[in-house]
Amino acid sequence: MDRFRDDAELTGALTALRPTPRPAFAAELDERAAAGFPRRAPEDSAAASPLAWVRSLRPGQILMPVGATALVAIVLTTAVVAVEEGGSDGPAGDRRSVASELSQGPLVKPDRAAKRSSEPATGGATAAAEAAQPSVQESEVQVESSAGAPGISFESSPRHRDVERAAEMVLGVEAAKVGDASSEVFAAVHANRGIVIRSSTSAGSAGDASASFELLIPSGRLGDALAAFSRIGEVRSRREATADITAPTVTAAESLQDSRARIDGLLAQLSEAATDSEREAVEAELRGERRRSAALRARLANLDRRASLSRVSVRIQSGGAPASSDDSSWGPGDALGDAGHILGIAAGVTLIALAVLGPIAMIVLLAWLAHRTIVRRSRERALG
Amino acid sequence: MDSPLARSRGVDQTLVATAGEAPREADLAFEALYRSSRDDVYAYVASMLRDEAAAEEVTAAAFERAYRKRSRFDPQRGEPRAWLFGIARNATLDELRRRGRQAELAAEPEDLDRARPQESAEEAERRVALTAGLATLEPRERELIALKFFAGLSNGEVAAVLAISESNAGTKLHRAVTKLREACNGSL
Repeated sequence: MDRFRDDAELTGALTALRPTPRPAFAAELDERAAAGFPRRAPEDSAAASPLAWVRSLRPGQILMPVGATALVAIVLTTAVVAVEEGGSDGPAGDRRSVASELSQGPLVKPDRAAKRSSEPATGGATAAAEAAQPSVQESEVQVESSAGAPGISFESSPRHRDVERAAEMVLGVEAAKVGDASSEVFAAVHANRGIVIRSSTSAGSAGDASASFELLIPSGRLGDALAAFSRIGEVRSRREATADITAPTVTAAESLQDSRARIDGLLAQLSEAATDSEREAVEAELRGERRRSAALRARLANLDRRASLSRVSVRIQSGGAPASSDDSSWGPGDALGDAGHILGIAAGVTLIALAVLGPIAMIVLLAWLAHRTIVRRSRERALG
Repeated sequence: MDSPLARSRGVDQTLVATAGEAPREADLAFEALYRSSRDDVYAYVASMLRDEAAAEEVTAAAFERAYRKRSRFDPQRGEPRAWLFGIARNATLDELRRRGRQAELAAEPEDLDRARPQESAEEAERRVALTAGLATLEPRERELIALKFFAGLSNGEVAAVLAISESNAGTKLHRAVTKLREACNGSL
């Protein structure tokens, strides 16, 4: 018996069995639709979860804040890096570290050079003094160190270390002012309790007038002395060097101690000598040991002097300024350089951020795809 | 295979009444979609879940999801009804998944054995036979029947919802209907 003779009859019967919503539910749904489907808090526990909240967002609503946050992070990081690298150098700060600059001795602008060389080497007071020097135009600053890290600070050396320091400075002044500048050098040496070993001054026209000084400055006051010299004229070059003489000093001191003990021992032998020949032999040995002890004392004194007094060479030149007088001002070229520097930092930070975020984004994407696949398969399994 | 399709009726309330400004295009399109699909979505969901309360809940949730995603709908990627039924299908399957049971399809979930006063004895017999025939179908076949004859989707829309080709959807539908007719005619 055929209840349904053809497909049309069957589909007609199916359509007649179509479920229809209750009028009350339909009216309620219409109301919710008219209100823009407001969220139902109590029963939508899933919708209240963070994951459901994220899902409800449009891609733009997620990407915009994430992008803005990333941009702000990049800008902030760039600013922090730029400020840290620039240090106190101001807007035109050089990216290289002070230590490397000092050890490599690059040509830098005088105000920055003075600050860079004096801050680690001679202290903040010197930095301020040198930075305030208006006539400084360009200088070569170099610190050489024969022991320890390059560019080691004069005053940052550990106290138990004996460090020999030396400095050379070339100042530029007008030819007519070479004499006055020389007087100021003497005054600065006197003020810092230094010693003038040798000096010479020659008058003349620009280029001919000059002066040179070989000085010994107490190492503890070297920074102040260099700062004082820097105020005398345009600092055209400045070179500082350190040498750790701790090892020879310790060796000399220990040898001296041994020598003194040896002398005491010989004196004891001398008092106990029974014969003349024995006494003469001990006296000869004692004389030799005393000479050796005297030499060691002299050597130790020399080393102490080298550690306590720094050798400073100051030359005063007239004329022949190596750079234009307005080079100390911050101009468009500096601005261009700084802009390139900041852009470089920003590019680096962005690259690092991408290097970090790229794999994370890839993992998140793969996890999302895996989640979608699992959900899709789970749904199909639910259907049977 | 295209039969007279059931479409939602009696939906005449204005949606998304935004004061002071004209409704956006997406809102207007969604309003039209809601009006044309409310009863169809319910019919599909109810036939899949066999639970009136759950069907109402899932229908409302499906429309809510669709409303929230309305601006993301791209007309170039498919028909709006197919898009809406894709969301309704996911919501339905999620509900089934949550319950941990397989989909069971019935025409009138709570009225299977209830006699209808206006029904003749022959009609009642055919209804019972049809219900029994539906029970013999595979779940995926029953879903095809639900999408086609309860929700009133075209073959193309069914294909889009199930992510298969239209010809494949037509073939499967034909097989399901044939199987159903044979099951109905063979019973009792």
